[in-house]
Amino acid sequence: MNETELITRARAGDGAAERALYDAHVDRVYRLAYRLAGDDDLARDFTQDAFIRAFERLDTFRGEAAFSTWLHAITTSVVLNGLRKVKRLRGRERDLDDARDVAHGRRDSEPDLKARLARAIDDLPEGYRTVFLMHDVEGYTHEEIGAALDVETGTSKAQLSRARAKLREALKDFAGDWV
Amino acid sequence: MTDFELEDRLRQAALHYHRPPETPREEMWARIDAARAPRRGRGGILAFRPRLRWGIGIAAVLALGVGLGRLTVRAPAAAPVPARETNVALQLATAQYFDRTEAMLAGFRADAKTGRLDPTFVASAKDLLSTTRLMLDSPAAQHDPKLHALLDDLELVLAQITQLKSEPGSQDAEDIRFITQALEQRGVLLRLRAGVPAGPARAAAQGVL
Repeated sequence: MNETELITRARAGDGAAERALYDAHVDRVYRLAYRLAGDDDLARDFTQDAFIRAFERLDTFRGEAAFSTWLHAITTSVVLNGLRKVKRLRGRERDLDDARDVAHGRRDSEPDLKARLARAIDDLPEGYRTVFLMHDVEGYTHEEIGAALDVETGTSKAQLSRARAKLREALKDFAGDWV
Repeated sequence: MTDFELEDRLRQAALHYHRPPETPREEMWARIDAARAPRRGRGGILAFRPRLRWGIGIAAVLALGVGLGRLTVRAPAAAPVPARETNVALQLATAQYFDRTEAMLAGFRADAKTGRLDPTFVASAKDLLSTTRLMLDSPAAQHDPKLHALLDDLELVLAQITQLKSEPGSQDAEDIRFITQALEQRGVLLRLRAGVPAGPARAAAQGVL
């Protein structure tokens, strides 16, 4: 049974068709949610939420784009909105952490370049970070990213270029001793 | 090292950033299936044609606008509030309450894992607990068993959080573990999200009540 038939059946409330659609796409959705959230519980919640919303809104899927494109647009929306909420709540705590980092010196406390890179990625503006993770880490094309984030392909390319430049800048002092 | 080499190594190292574990396929499906089960079988009943869907959407927005407009105008003290306006107000209040509760519990769970619980969660839980009890007594909860069950679970979880000590670092790890277990086992966050309308409705509720 092809995907169009599965969608038709899922629209009619067929649980087996929903499961088949889930099986076909869950790995990529979960991986993206995890890359963006960095937390298994949040990634699970976001993945579940994305599929539930997708199944509930199947009537609005017109088939002009691929189902995976439509599903990833829902996923990125769920994940980014969810992360903003968590970030707001944890803002105060993060401020305290940053103050501690400044007091003790980040360079000395984080000799591992991967840890520095992780922090540099965390510090990227949301748009740059999302595009960088989708393109360079998870292998999405600029067309897929543009559709998922509702931006032009050129915007996706520009954001990726700026993200890479910011990371290079943040890590340039490690260029000689990368491990 | 050239910029090109640095960028290439950077991309390689980035693969380790938030590296996902194996997809917990069955666990997630069990929850999705549980959330979807009551809604299946209703598919297709409201499958409107696009033009009709737009019409209904516009009508709904207009109705909401009229309802909100009336709510913002002060009525004479003795004037009774029509049932329809009460329903709109209740729906908005419920959406806003769900939104705040979901954000608080998601933050609580994330913090609980680090072992450093922000004491503001206790104060937020007290505030939300009062609202939860008011909502449990509302006609909407009385007539909706699903909503009532969710509010019951939320009341339990929030009450447990309010019992935690509010000094940073003084909370009992065992208590926190029980609370997060209750959240997981009852699928509270997922049910909360399933009951919350999508973005625009939430935004509309902000600051209205």
